[in-house]
Amino acid sequence: MTQANTVEGTVFDIGYQKYTGPREGRNRARLSVFKDGVRTSLGFGRGARAKVLPWFFIGVLVAIALVMALVAGAAKGLGSPEDVAQLNLPSHSDYYGIASIIFFVFAAVGAPELLCPDRRDGVINLYLVRPLTGSDYIAARWCAFFMVMLAVAWLPQIILAIGLTMGDPEPAGYFRDNWLDIPRFLAAGVPLAAYTTTLALVTAAFTTRRAYASVFLVGLFVITTPFTTGLAMEIGGTAGQWISMFNLSNIPVHVNDLIFGDVSEITSVAPAAELSAGILVGWYLLWTLVPAGILWIRYRRLTP
Amino acid sequence: MMPSTDALLTAENLTKHYKDVVALNDVSFGISDGITGILGENGAGKSTAIKIFLGLLQPTSGSAIVLGQNASESVSVRERLGYMPEHDCLPSQVSAAEFLTHMAEVSGLPPSQARTRAADTLRHAGLFEERYRAMGGYSTGMKQRVKLAQALVHDPTFVFLDEPTAGLDPAGREDMLELIRKTHREFGISILFSSHLMADVERTCDRIIVLQAGRVVQSGEVKHFTKETETVFIEVDTNRERLVAALEARGVVVTADGRGLYIEGPDESVYDHVRDALVDAEAPLRRMAPRRRALTELFQRDGDDFESGVVT
Repeated sequence: MTQANTVEGTVFDIGYQKYTGPREGRNRARLSVFKDGVRTSLGFGRGARAKVLPWFFIGVLVAIALVMALVAGAAKGLGSPEDVAQLNLPSHSDYYGIASIIFFVFAAVGAPELLCPDRRDGVINLYLVRPLTGSDYIAARWCAFFMVMLAVAWLPQIILAIGLTMGDPEPAGYFRDNWLDIPRFLAAGVPLAAYTTTLALVTAAFTTRRAYASVFLVGLFVITTPFTTGLAMEIGGTAGQWISMFNLSNIPVHVNDLIFGDVSEITSVAPAAELSAGILVGWYLLWTLVPAGILWIRYRRLTP
Repeated sequence: MMPSTDALLTAENLTKHYKDVVALNDVSFGISDGITGILGENGAGKSTAIKIFLGLLQPTSGSAIVLGQNASESVSVRERLGYMPEHDCLPSQVSAAEFLTHMAEVSGLPPSQARTRAADTLRHAGLFEERYRAMGGYSTGMKQRVKLAQALVHDPTFVFLDEPTAGLDPAGREDMLELIRKTHREFGISILFSSHLMADVERTCDRIIVLQAGRVVQSGEVKHFTKETETVFIEVDTNRERLVAALEARGVVVTADGRGLYIEGPDESVYDHVRDALVDAEAPLRRMAPRRRALTELFQRDGDDFESGVVT
């Protein structure tokens, strides 16, 4: 390189620069807390350990859908349509019921990650001195986890839909006969995601320890299922039906059944399934809206 | 320090009760541009005052106005405020760069500007090289710097620092105080600096407000307090007692301290009295120097605490 081609540069320390750009206020603050909630739920921007659990459960949920699709495809390949119909293979209407316990465990593990560290580490104090109220904060966190739960609910159903369609000897015919399952599973995912998000977050709102919230939630969902099922069977009648309503895992699955117009594999043995649609929907709303109200009140009080 | 028209912060008859406990009792003051120290023992009401100004607490009565608005009624005013809490507030798994970017966005900055501001602010705080490391591995001094950086990342007009030197060793404390001075001097950001360490406030602040049991017991310019207590230090080789007697005979107030003597409140005539007394006492002068009392001495004179020299 000749002397003439040499470019000499000088680094200047221009010192502190005042910020003169736009300030987008409360809406930007809400959006940022929402984005951070989605990233935290999925372990993005954190170490490898933070990614292990959420992606393990997502993998399990997808695996269930894949197995269901493979079994259905294999059965269709081996027998006549009449034989396959008699097998009553699980489909979209059954998926949320079959995988519900995995959803709940995913929520039990993921939701406390959004609220507990912020309170334990004191980060919540930094949020609330910015253009953000306690209500804004919890609404953004709720929406973030709801979106994650919705995506986690829909993804396996979409994979199942593709698998069932492609595994059928006549994919176009299968799609023509069953396309309504798509809006149904999209719609059924919403109450499932709203219910699990709300219950998991309201539990996490009362402790700063993620492990306590997770263990409590897993215990709640796992214990109520055999306990209420056994007791409902034993007592029977209307009382048995109402006891069966306290099976927390089944509450959103009853709504799923109403959307599909069919009783799923899981709720077919639950006495509560015999109750009217109004009672089942009302019960679902009670178990979703009341915890949502408690959650909101708890965070609203953080700012005057 | 009564509220003035150019004040950035104004408290008027501010009172806060927690059930039977009075945290702030009819407090009025104004804070203008510069670094203001708010001093007081634990429970004096410092943090309560800051939380009311930040809109985190509602006062029982009175008003707290920040940048012309009531923070508890206007969320938007918090875009222009920064807060460095006393206690830990940093997530351990996240890097400083990511955390500051997020905090800048929560303060209302668009994502691209938030990233730029986060890097710039970490550079000014002396953490540029460490910005991609998870904060769980930071030393106490580095964590305090990140806490200050997050309070500054959105370029606030006014920043509240709650015990910013807590937990720091002497070198870290000096670095933090220098960073605070730089924050006002070079960044043009006004500061309310809460501390129970008078030495920190004396070395950093332009003005002080002293709170005790929820009341303002002293307020004003730091230089005013230290000037009020200016002294002359004298050290002689021999005849110290004769010198003390000669000074006292001239009506000069003398305090013995170790090997030296302190002479209170000098004006020009004091130096004449010292000269004459040295000659009368035949005391060979080793050293004579003007000295300002530390604020600590002012507020703890004669074994009293902040009650000394109460202004009403």
